Amino acid sequence: MLECRNLHKHYGGVIALKGVSWSLRPGEVHALCGENGAGKSTLAKILCGITAASDGEVILDGKPVKWSGPHEARQAGLGIILQELDLFAHLSIAENLALGNDRLEGSAWISPAVLHEKVRPLLQDVGLDLDPSLPLGQLSVSQWQLVAIARVLGLNAKVVFMDEPTSALTNDAVERLFGLIRRLKERGVAIVYVSHKMDEIFRICDRVSVMRDGEMIKTTACAETTIDEVIQQMVGRAVAATRREKISVTEKKLFEAREISTRKLGHVSFKLAPGEILGVAGLVGSGRSEIGRALFGLSPIIEGLMTIEGHAYLPRNPHDAVRHGIALVPEDRQREGLISGMSIGQNTTLASLSTYSRGGWIDREGESAAAAKVLASCRTKFAAQELPVRSLSGGNQQKVLIGKWLLTQPRICFFDDPTRGIDIGAKDDIYRLVSDLAGKGLGVIWVSSELPELLANAHRILVLHEGLCLGILDAATATQEDIMRLATGHRL
Amino acid sequence: MNTTFWKYLRHHGQPFIGLLLILILGTVLSPHATDGTIVFLSPGNLTDVLLQQSEIGIIALAMTFVIIGAGIDLSVGSVLALSACVSALFMMVWNPHGPLVVQVGLAIGAALAGGALIGALNGLVITRIHLQPFVMTLATMIGVRGFTKWLTGNVNVDLAFGANPSGRFAELFSSKPFAISLWIGLAIIAHLILTRTVYGRYLRAIGENERAAAYTGLPVAGVRLAAYVGCGALAALAGLIHAARSHQGNPNDGVGYELDAIAAVVIGGTALAGGRGSIIGTVTGTLVLGLLTNVLRLHMVDSNLELMIKAVIIIAAVWLQRRSTGVHGDL
Amino acid sequence: MISRKWFGALPALLCLAVAGCTSQPSPYKYTVVFSQCNNSEPYRAAQNNAMKKLWSEQPDVHLVVMDAQQDSVRQIAQIETAIRMKPQLLIVAPNERAPLTEVMKQAVEASIPVICMERDIVEPNYTSWIRVDNRAIGRMIGQFVVEALTKKYGEPRGNIVEIAGLKGVEAETNRKLGAHDIWDTYPKIKVVTESVANWSQSLAKDRMTEILSAVPQIDVVFGRSDPMAIGAYLAARERGRENEMIFVGIDGLSGPSGGISQVKEGLLAATCVYPLCVDKAVEIGSQILRDPGFKPDKIYTISSRLITPESAANSP
Repeated sequence: MLECRNLHKHYGGVIALKGVSWSLRPGEVHALCGENGAGKSTLAKILCGITAASDGEVILDGKPVKWSGPHEARQAGLGIILQELDLFAHLSIAENLALGNDRLEGSAWISPAVLHEKVRPLLQDVGLDLDPSLPLGQLSVSQWQLVAIARVLGLNAKVVFMDEPTSALTNDAVERLFGLIRRLKERGVAIVYVSHKMDEIFRICDRVSVMRDGEMIKTTACAETTIDEVIQQMVGRAVAATRREKISVTEKKLFEAREISTRKLGHVSFKLAPGEILGVAGLVGSGRSEIGRALFGLSPIIEGLMTIEGHAYLPRNPHDAVRHGIALVPEDRQREGLISGMSIGQNTTLASLSTYSRGGWIDREGESAAAAKVLASCRTKFAAQELPVRSLSGGNQQKVLIGKWLLTQPRICFFDDPTRGIDIGAKDDIYRLVSDLAGKGLGVIWVSSELPELLANAHRILVLHEGLCLGILDAATATQEDIMRLATGHRL
Repeated sequence: MNTTFWKYLRHHGQPFIGLLLILILGTVLSPHATDGTIVFLSPGNLTDVLLQQSEIGIIALAMTFVIIGAGIDLSVGSVLALSACVSALFMMVWNPHGPLVVQVGLAIGAALAGGALIGALNGLVITRIHLQPFVMTLATMIGVRGFTKWLTGNVNVDLAFGANPSGRFAELFSSKPFAISLWIGLAIIAHLILTRTVYGRYLRAIGENERAAAYTGLPVAGVRLAAYVGCGALAALAGLIHAARSHQGNPNDGVGYELDAIAAVVIGGTALAGGRGSIIGTVTGTLVLGLLTNVLRLHMVDSNLELMIKAVIIIAAVWLQRRSTGVHGDL
Repeated sequence: MISRKWFGALPALLCLAVAGCTSQPSPYKYTVVFSQCNNSEPYRAAQNNAMKKLWSEQPDVHLVVMDAQQDSVRQIAQIETAIRMKPQLLIVAPNERAPLTEVMKQAVEASIPVICMERDIVEPNYTSWIRVDNRAIGRMIGQFVVEALTKKYGEPRGNIVEIAGLKGVEAETNRKLGAHDIWDTYPKIKVVTESVANWSQSLAKDRMTEILSAVPQIDVVFGRSDPMAIGAYLAARERGRENEMIFVGIDGLSGPSGGISQVKEGLLAATCVYPLCVDKAVEIGSQILRDPGFKPDKIYTISSRLITPESAANSP
């Protein structure tokens, strides 16, 4: 029903798609997967009229179409749920759902009561039991995602694109989403599921198309292939098993938090030894990022004490924290990490600029030499330091951010879900980097949503639930089930 | 060398195109003086434009810093009037004793310090109390105007002529070589600060993504504060040239200067959203505005038309930059 | 890509169009630049109209009027540009004394004949100054007020409110001094308050509203210009107190909203004609243009006359 032939797309000099041909059948759930930068999102955006292709054609129900913009595509029954959520925090849930939806907006006058009645079934469909008049800004990220899905459902779309829909969802919300996808499928709606989470794809998709470097590699029925095969197609090579040897931990104390409380944390205590990797697990909203914010002077400490090498430590702001040798790789790369208009080199040296400057003047050669060295040690792939950092793929951007902190020679590194949304090859590099850091005697605190990753890399795992520390497990003996039980509030 | 030059021109050449166009246009359209020379290109006329634009030009330099730091400063016009009046009052009314140099120096120092102080007030409230820059500087724009009127009793303070402190001061600050080289010199310094120093790098990072800059441990508040202090001080400096050129301190002068300065900055390709911009662009933008007015005046075009054409230039310049930097209207 | 190139040329084309309208080969022998300080007051508009009318009677003269919009710095810049054009005559109605002094010197140094109209400047940087004796005008009004008060009370006594123009301007200073030359000799005539309204009718109305609340007994309101006197009148009428006092002004423009017709209508008790000076400027100007041997006087003083309801009946 929806098809494209020989699509090309380039942004300036960067080629995003080179000659992609692909087709979608009615009522199927079709996975689009590939490493970041493979062109999945670009393809979805072209099909939905958000961006225009440089060359090639899009065919809907046998007729070639040329969208003037997303609105026209939406009228034709193509809905998209974007990775960057295109919703408005100041508007209510109902108003967000009605925006751009002629059926809900009706006439120029919108009666709130009528609108709320109309949107209630949509909210029930996605399992959101909330008052439609609530402003979106008061909702959690996971709830935002569900509202975005409800919005597309409200359009009575024939085709729904979901771009990484589960990246911000909690486990039970994911289950509800899958139920929803099955019901849509029964109604004959075709779903394009952009993801690189293999277990999800194999649970709900009928066919899977793999993209790599802007090209369509292969489309196969899920029943006829395996996870390993798809991963191989994605990376173009076989991936080594991820278990690695543990490092022995010395008895010395580098950092200690004693009963610290912030607005989102209650009496959390833990110790960190030099060379130790302390994993932090918990659901979204459990306060796992808050530990980093407290450590970095971003959230005021209400109670409790932190010490570094035995000295009391109470950062007033991040500037202070950096001077004490703390580094924080934030969860949200785009908003909290990168200065996207600046070059790769400038992003890398931003935190340590005073090292290569004399009297406020930057020594450009020293700067670029230092950046080149650290970027190479992080195995960052880039053409030139002068290129804007946004031209890099997610994994390489993350390596730039890590490199930035390595240049400050920190004593303690806080990584907030560093492998989120990056491709498998880059993940491997980051695992290696982190264990190298620990090997040099740094203390590492590592938040992650992926339990196997924590079990494979951390020495101990701290589990948070609603701001409370429910236990610190030894990674050598713990299982995923142990961690999940604590994270969902059941003590061992 | 040659290729880097062209590469540079391609990257940063956008504002120059407008400048070049206006220069060519001015030359072609320029009336000929009674002796047959092209009036527009005569050194006298071109330096007239530089002198006339030096006030806005100096303010625009500082405004570029503030805007790159994702702020705005609407108070510069009022600060200009304050500085002009304070310096005039010092020399004409308050008359501190001492040799001529000391008297003039005190007047200049007091005016600059006053400007920097208002900039510091703006910066402190914006960075500490987190008032929006637009709101805070709107308030100081109104408040400083009122303060200046109160200080002078809303009466113009005329400077004297001849060999007394105020006469000497006016002679110096309104002389072409002094005012123009002051502007150009400051432009070079500002350019170097923005491109070569830690401060410039921090400012651009903060302007583009304040949150990420804070997460990198940059001294966000200090950097932004400094931009506002600089802006106040340079507006005061422009006020000294203004006082010298108009030979008085007029508490009602400088109204709308903030918008002219912002227009020059915007024409020069600095993004109002912050993070991106250049001093070269701002200087060019200032010149484009000045030369345009000059061409029209040489043709004795109704001065009200000037404003309409300025409006078109602003829109066209910004539109062109969006095209060339690939920032499109779509998602 | 093509559209971008064309759009880039748009502002240029626009300038071309605008400039083109004024850049045909000139049929004129002489260019005369009139730098007007401000177009928006009625007195200035009347000057501009008279200037255009009188010069248009001489077809070989091209008159350019520049409006400085009450901004001294703008007027300086406009005159600087005008000097580059090397006109045969420059007529300046200066916005303020000190600011314009320097730039008019430049014009004289560029050997352009300069006629300074009405307001003076600090140093005599002009060929001729056509002046009006504002102090004499002030005395004329002052005398009228004394006579009106004597008629009202049988002796010269009463309370006067003054609405002042822009402080520091010669007209403001001398009109005030002139009136006070007369009043100071009568101890029972008191100026109860003076308020500054910067020549603006609306400001005068606001100031007068405040004064009306503060001053219980007012006999005369002296507006240093007709619009300000009218502004005060409007404020008094809003309070229903317009018959308690008389209003006098200065300017005495003709035309439907001018001071003369306001005297006829009885809003103002009297006004004093402030001559436009344009007749004299054009007369001297054309002599300078056409007669190389002509030696103009340094100063010409234009005389004024008082307009009362009686004399207004005879005015156009």
